[in-house]
Amino acid sequence: MSNRDTPDLDRAADRVSAARADTEARGETFYPGASRIHLAMFPPKERWDDWVEYDSKSWPKKVEKRYMLVPTSCFNCEAGCGLLAYVDRDTMQVRKFEGNPEAPGSRGRNCAKGPATINQVTDPDRILHPMKRVGERGGGEWVAASWDEALDTIAARVRAAIVEGRRDEVTYHVGRPGELGFTSEVLQAWGVDGHNSHTNVCSAGARAGYSFWLGQDRPSPDHANAEVILLISAHLEAGHYFNPHAQRIMEARQRGAKLIVMDVRLSNTATHADHWLAPWPGSESTINLAIANHLIQSKQYDRDYVRRWWNWEEYLRACQPDREPTFEVFEQVLATLYAEHTFDQAAAESGIAADRLQAVAETVATAGNRLSTHTWRSASIGNEGGWQVARTLFLLNALLGAVAVPGGTYPNGWNVVKPKTPVNPDPVPVWNDLHLPLEYPFAMYEMSFLLPHFLREGRGRIDTYFTRVYNPVWTNPDGFSWIEALTDHDQVGLHVALTPTWNETAYLADWVLPMGHSSERHDIISYEQYDGQWIGFRQPVLRAARERLGETITDTREANPGEVWEENEFWIELTWRIDPDGSLGIRKHYEAPDRPGEQMTVDDYYGWVFANGVPGLPEKAAEEGLDPLAYMRRYGGFEVSDGVGPIHEGEVGEEELDDVVVSDTGRVYGRGPAPSVSYSSGGAPEPDAEGRRAVGVMVDGVVRRGFPTPSGKLEFWSSTLADWGWGDVALPGAMTSHVHPSQLADGEVPLISTFRLPVQIHTRSANAKWLNELAHTNPLWIHPSHAREVGVVTGDLVRVSTHGGHFVVKAWVTEGIRPGVVACSHHMGRWKPSHQTEGVDSPSPRMQVADVDLVRDGTRWSLQGRVEHGAYDSSDPDMARIWWTDVGVHQNMTFPVHPDPISGAHCWHQAVRVTRAEPGDAYGDVVADTARMRAEYEAWLGKARSARELSPNGERRPHWLKRPLRPVRAAWAIPEQAGTDAAGDPDPP
Amino acid sequence: MSAELLRALSVVAERPGPEHARVARALDLSPIPDDVSWTQVFVFNLYPHASVYLGAEGQVGGEAADRVAGFFRALDAVPPPEPDSIPTLLTAWAQLRERADDGDVRAGHAAATLVHEHLRSWLPLVLARIEAMAPAPWPDWARLVGATLQRGDGALIDGLPLHLREAPTFTDPRDGGGEGEPDSGGSLVNQVLVPVRCGFVVTTTDLRRCAHETGLALRLAERRYVLGQLLGQDVPTTLRWLAGHGESTTTAAWDGWDEVAGDAAAWWRDRAVTTADLLRDLADEAAGATVVAP
Repeated sequence: MSNRDTPDLDRAADRVSAARADTEARGETFYPGASRIHLAMFPPKERWDDWVEYDSKSWPKKVEKRYMLVPTSCFNCEAGCGLLAYVDRDTMQVRKFEGNPEAPGSRGRNCAKGPATINQVTDPDRILHPMKRVGERGGGEWVAASWDEALDTIAARVRAAIVEGRRDEVTYHVGRPGELGFTSEVLQAWGVDGHNSHTNVCSAGARAGYSFWLGQDRPSPDHANAEVILLISAHLEAGHYFNPHAQRIMEARQRGAKLIVMDVRLSNTATHADHWLAPWPGSESTINLAIANHLIQSKQYDRDYVRRWWNWEEYLRACQPDREPTFEVFEQVLATLYAEHTFDQAAAESGIAADRLQAVAETVATAGNRLSTHTWRSASIGNEGGWQVARTLFLLNALLGAVAVPGGTYPNGWNVVKPKTPVNPDPVPVWNDLHLPLEYPFAMYEMSFLLPHFLREGRGRIDTYFTRVYNPVWTNPDGFSWIEALTDHDQVGLHVALTPTWNETAYLADWVLPMGHSSERHDIISYEQYDGQWIGFRQPVLRAARERLGETITDTREANPGEVWEENEFWIELTWRIDPDGSLGIRKHYEAPDRPGEQMTVDDYYGWVFANGVPGLPEKAAEEGLDPLAYMRRYGGFEVSDGVGPIHEGEVGEEELDDVVVSDTGRVYGRGPAPSVSYSSGGAPEPDAEGRRAVGVMVDGVVRRGFPTPSGKLEFWSSTLADWGWGDVALPGAMTSHVHPSQLADGEVPLISTFRLPVQIHTRSANAKWLNELAHTNPLWIHPSHAREVGVVTGDLVRVSTHGGHFVVKAWVTEGIRPGVVACSHHMGRWKPSHQTEGVDSPSPRMQVADVDLVRDGTRWSLQGRVEHGAYDSSDPDMARIWWTDVGVHQNMTFPVHPDPISGAHCWHQAVRVTRAEPGDAYGDVVADTARMRAEYEAWLGKARSARELSPNGERRPHWLKRPLRPVRAAWAIPEQAGTDAAGDPDPP
Repeated sequence: MSAELLRALSVVAERPGPEHARVARALDLSPIPDDVSWTQVFVFNLYPHASVYLGAEGQVGGEAADRVAGFFRALDAVPPPEPDSIPTLLTAWAQLRERADDGDVRAGHAAATLVHEHLRSWLPLVLARIEAMAPAPWPDWARLVGATLQRGDGALIDGLPLHLREAPTFTDPRDGGGEGEPDSGGSLVNQVLVPVRCGFVVTTTDLRRCAHETGLALRLAERRYVLGQLLGQDVPTTLRWLAGHGESTTTAAWDGWDEVAGDAAAWWRDRAVTTADLLRDLADEAAGATVVAP
């Protein structure tokens, strides 16, 4: 630099110091806070009340816009990433959503779906008023009605069901819960076994695999600290926590960690992998076992960990009773158990060369105990026996001791906060066989996708059916059977759809009640996204903003658009109308904790939870001079702990070790008080015969906390499976998928339908214009060699025939998929009946849907006369700019149900024939026959083994396994069958 | 050195928003930096990352960025996402200076190391280019930063910074190209755009000036393509222009830095002069050749 221009640094420094002092004397912040040179740039939180940005639409003029920044949580997938709503202080409307740096899981980062929340809020076609059906159900005619009428109508029916002892006739069918149990508490308060989740079409397979090992049904991989990351996935999104996991995987990759992805498609995730394996669908367990065998035969497993933490002794005693139950003997057995699972054998099953599999195994072996693994949907939910994919994957963690250590995989419950709440009803007194029938004693969880078949068989009826953030007609397989059930008033008495937007199921409702999007509702959330515990708060941001300005708002409808409500307040009000005088003993649960006789508000509820149920939060809030609720309203997130560590290794305190008994296999029982924990403990191991609680497990002479399994250890061998008639699969193993080559008829190939498009989530993101512009169709992935056989090129129409019907879709010829396998994303193909009326009070969705005629001919159904939507005029000028018309094809309606006999999962993969479209076929055709669907259902039902025949204790389900809304113990007993005695034998004539 | 001043200078180098204005005013910068000028300087021309000037590829990240990250790790700190950016480095310097002012001897030593290894090893070159070509107020900002670097922090450290000791050389394309670059034409373009190899900086604006001064046609694209197009039109002219540009800008940039930057100033001058000589030699050879092969 030129010396002649040397500035006076001391003077400059003095000027800066003086300016800072002046600024801070005014109570303002001089420096702008976190750096703005990176992608992660956030307004400093002390400026969230009055944040200034230049108005982008005024460029190049520098027009300042002033915002109030209010946190909430995204609701577009399970991850619940933090959002900051930018509330325009002039208009008090939300201008945009960005990341919330105070959210511990997402750390201020979001995927495309987070900012797109603004599209959903401003969707011109959203439902703004309660709508009541007129005419026939499904007839498409609606009138706006009052909330009072809706509440009184619904409350009268629910009250009647309760009073008349029909407690199994109230069902709440939920897709994405997005909360920590508020609604389950409501159902429990009502005393109805009415929780019906979507889990069986989602994650039941993985949950079963993890539960039998860990006693907890989800994995919590510590990707950020791993050396090797092994994903069995269909894009990271298939693992629930796309954004929180993706950012931590990238951190690990930057450190040099290796990434292995098993996926039949070249997914976005697979493109980042060091090893991408595209196996034949259903062979994933075989590959896992080959890796395990490599670790065992080469003695690269953690012997001491296996000795201390596997239930090998229980296994030897039960399965090898003639051998001495020593660890040395177990190692000899272990070396033989998986010896057949060579790389050559896995290569034959998977179609992947043995040397590539060996390279992957050797990579896994380098991880030590820093191996993070994850499977959630994908192969676990695609295949019959898919639960073994999770079980064999976790076998690798268990071999390496990569369990609940940095870089390993944790049981999810230890990385989740489960706060106490002020609502503590007694367990429900009944068991709903429509949800958890005897044929599926291990189901994870309710067999919700079989509901139409159960109703048709007369297993029960539903008086009042709530659907909430769920669209079973579209999301579930066999959608036409759902239409048959929902249009039959004898099967479903009243259908209430709680939804922000119209959907294929809501068209078949009696009431459609508008509920808020993520910035218009209250929820608390906590998810396992790293080795830590955090809690997030979803809140109606305009309500919170106005309260910051001094308003008092007691009903979220005052701040939401139109008459849009939120479920928390709805359920509380409905509960009061069900039991207006408290005589049913229900209302008391929703009275204000400090004002008996007054209705509980959301502030009462969450104020109590944050003050009493979240360790450390009151103290943190006090540091800032706030009460806990005010803290969460201001910041939206709180980290309870970072680095939970191996809970199972913790020594059990003396206070719990009262009147201790130790079983043959080391399970320790005692009568001391249970510890107060903030995490979700998962399974509920049974007490001993004298009623002592399972407090821990003896390991090398020390009583340690252990795992929430029957044995207290990692269950390599599942006594539960063995005791309930499935001893043949009690060890981690490979099962034959229904799309294994041996199971396919000539000409059939597997169809993979479970993969997501990274910017879409089922039906929830369907009204987000930005996301639809990014991804709006779902062609059939087909390998070039396969396409040549079929005789199609990209863009040609193909007919895909399932065992229940067929659909017509465009081909996309790509080398990004395994030859001989086809794939079609399940996110696309939204439709609405063409007779659905449109009007001011009942706007009908026009974006990303096709109008169709629902045509029924006996049991044969079809979607015909498809009319695509393109640009249209509305209050949003962007809708006139829509440049695409293809919205994809709804394939799920052609899929028969495939209930896995153990996990209860719907095994999504389909055996299909792919042919050129036939004359008369048109793009988007969907045809299915519900009689063929029933035949397929009955064939799969025949694979189940009923608890009536195999229960070892006369109960419907292993009591230690997790179950939503656990009823009183008496309800677990298998009832006598009509016409039989207690043992199930026919009554004598 | 004033930690307050360093912090203010680092903040101003961040992408400007309304809240940066008061800091810029305190520094007497006029006009207040805005997105347009910041983008013009730091996005289109002089990327604010040490790795661009010290790395073997002339790009953000890589081994040069790892060396800076290693500095943070050596201090038991988690490296920030972009450890080698100007705002990050100046902020780190400010923080170390604050700790040193509070009596932390180790922080004082670290501050001197940071200045020697990761700031004076390259930043004077960039500051000089900003002074020469950037719109206001960036030249004033550059002079302030330059003056802080001149004043330094602690005792002068002898020897060449590691970045420069590890720097790859400019390979004569007639010898088979640069490292891993068998294509001689491509390697020449690649190497001219890597400051630590050639000893000077060629920005987008420089290439426009080259086209203007030589009368060659300019294509609007990224630098590699633009330079290729210039060479495609006239190899000797383009190479001679590059030689003159590199030698003059680098020599001027390091003028007055020998006393405080130690061997780094001489290193950069030597490298620029050596490259310029080579380019002129190549130009002469191309002028005598019948086939132009850039």
